[in-house]
Parts: sequence; structure tokens; C-alpha cells
Amino acid sequence: MANVLEASDRRALLTQLGISRGLSLLWIPMFTGIMVFVMRWRLVGADRVRREYARLRSESDAPVLVCANHLTMLDSFAITWALGGTGAFLRHFNWLPWNTPEETNFASTWWKRVLVYLLKCVPVKRGSDRAEIAKTLDKVGFLLARGESVLIFPEGGRSRTGRVDQESAAYGVGRLVSSIPGCRVFCVYLRGRNQESWGYSPSPGDVFDVYSHVLEPKTDHEGLRGSVEIAKQIVGQLAEMESRHFDDRQ
Amino acid sequence: MEKTEIQERVVKILTPYVKDQGALANVSAATNILEDLKVNSARLVDVVLAFEDEFDIEIADEDVDVVNTVGDCVGLIADKL
Repeated sequence: MANVLEASDRRALLTQLGISRGLSLLWIPMFTGIMVFVMRWRLVGADRVRREYARLRSESDAPVLVCANHLTMLDSFAITWALGGTGAFLRHFNWLPWNTPEETNFASTWWKRVLVYLLKCVPVKRGSDRAEIAKTLDKVGFLLARGESVLIFPEGGRSRTGRVDQESAAYGVGRLVSSIPGCRVFCVYLRGRNQESWGYSPSPGDVFDVYSHVLEPKTDHEGLRGSVEIAKQIVGQLAEMESRHFDDRQ
Repeated sequence: MEKTEIQERVVKILTPYVKDQGALANVSAATNILEDLKVNSARLVDVVLAFEDEFDIEIADEDVDVVNTVGDCVGLIADKL
């Protein structure tokens, strides 16, 4: 998959990576500080998730695709925070995952575009033509093949039901996994205790429960059918973690 | 198999996924599946899998990238028969 990406796109991604890394001493502590002191968010279960993620990243250079549930436009910040603290990401910058935000949500002002660029993002345009979506997948595949982590939302958008929506599973995640040899899937389920349904942002002072599971998707099928099966396994795993979350909260 | 027959079977497969059933009355090769027929993009893959079953063909991941219109589906299937 990475081979089909044009040289100009590869150069652009590597330039973005270099600039982001160069300024990481500024922006990583700043965003962690905003989450801790301004938003007053707190994570429950992050120690276990961080240990598991660090083990996965340390034991091999094979690509890691982080697949998470999606409820708010800002939960990718909390998910990233749950994967590692400031020190871990400054020491291992490639552990800090790339994100794939919806372009129209962040393209409205220059400072949002700068932020998206700086925060290791590959914007996606929902509803764009199939070739454009394929190009985005190629970019993500290129980054994964270079040993970068990538965070994606297999549901393809914020869940309008407030629960993991298995019917909306985007097959692109299965296509990514099946096209990258040795790709490992790190499933993360994160939910704020004040988060009843989907929305714009988690509320200030919210406490997030976070769970993780290393998944090795398997399929006997090839091509499209295999990719769909893998995507369903990943979203199914997130749904199972959600059930566990609500069982724990009862 | 004639392309007109393929198109008839393609439209039959698409029908349960079409949100704008009225658009089916004027369907042609140029009809865009997502924009004109309002098929949910996440369901497009199910449609293509149904093509595999109906025509006993295998469709690669990359093939889905070129599927935008009914004519694209007919061309893709015809190439594999």
C-alpha cells in the first residue's frame, strides 16, 4: 500500500513529522497541561493501558494501529494521553500516534490548521470520492510502515447512538491491517463518566475510564471480504470492551 | 453476459440499500451511487460483496476505489466475468 503513494506526498509527510518532532518539547507538555490543569480531566486505568502499549511498542518495530471508539471531537487527545505521558512521548516520538480527524471540523481557521499539522494529523474528508479516501489510506499505510503509530476510529465517525456502532464499521481499517504485514492492532475504549452520548467535547473535570486489548485479527478470506471481516472483528472487540465498561460501572 | 443484463442485476442488488427510492426510476450508468441514490458509504462495501456472490467473482480492495456510479459497477463486473 505504501508504495503507491507519490514521492511528493511522502516528502510532505516526512516534513510534517520533522517539524512536529522539532517543536514537540513545546506542544506535548502544553497539551498535557491543558488536559490536566485547564480541562481537569482524569484517567482511570491508564497505568495498565500505558504498560501494555509500551510493551507492544518495545517488543518489536512492527506497525501498531490504535483503534478506538469515538464519542467527541476531542477524545483523541484523551486517548493519546492514555497511551503515554509527556516523558514517554518525548523519548519515543514515534509512539505518539498520528490522528485522522475530519478535515471540515478543523479547516475553518488558520490556527486550527496549524494545530492539525503540528499534532501529527492526516485530515480526512468524509464523503470524498473513493480515490481520495484510498489516498488517505495510503498515507496512513506509509506512516505505519515507517514504524509510526496511527490512531483511527473504525466506526468512521462519532457514534450517533452513544454506543459502539457495529453497523457503521468502516471497512478501511480492515484494508489497512490486511495490507500491512505484521500490523498489530491495539484496541482502546475510552469513555468519560459524564459522557451520556456523542458530542463536541468531554466536559471539564470529567473522569475517563480507559481499557485496552491487543487484537490479532484473523481471516480465511482474501481481498475485500477479508478486509470486511477484519474490520468487524475490531469493532466487535470495541463493543465487547464497552460491555465490560458498563458491567464494571453497575 | 450483456451489460444491460449486468446493470439490471446491479440495480436489483442496490435497491434495498437505496435511501432515495424515487431516484431508481431514472437510474442510468451515470447515476452516482452515494450522491444520487443516497446509499450509505459504509454500506457500499456490502453492495460490492453482494456483487461477488451474485456474479461469482472476486473483487480486490483497490477495485472499490473506482466504484462511484452504476456504470462503474457494471464495468468492474464485466471485466471480471
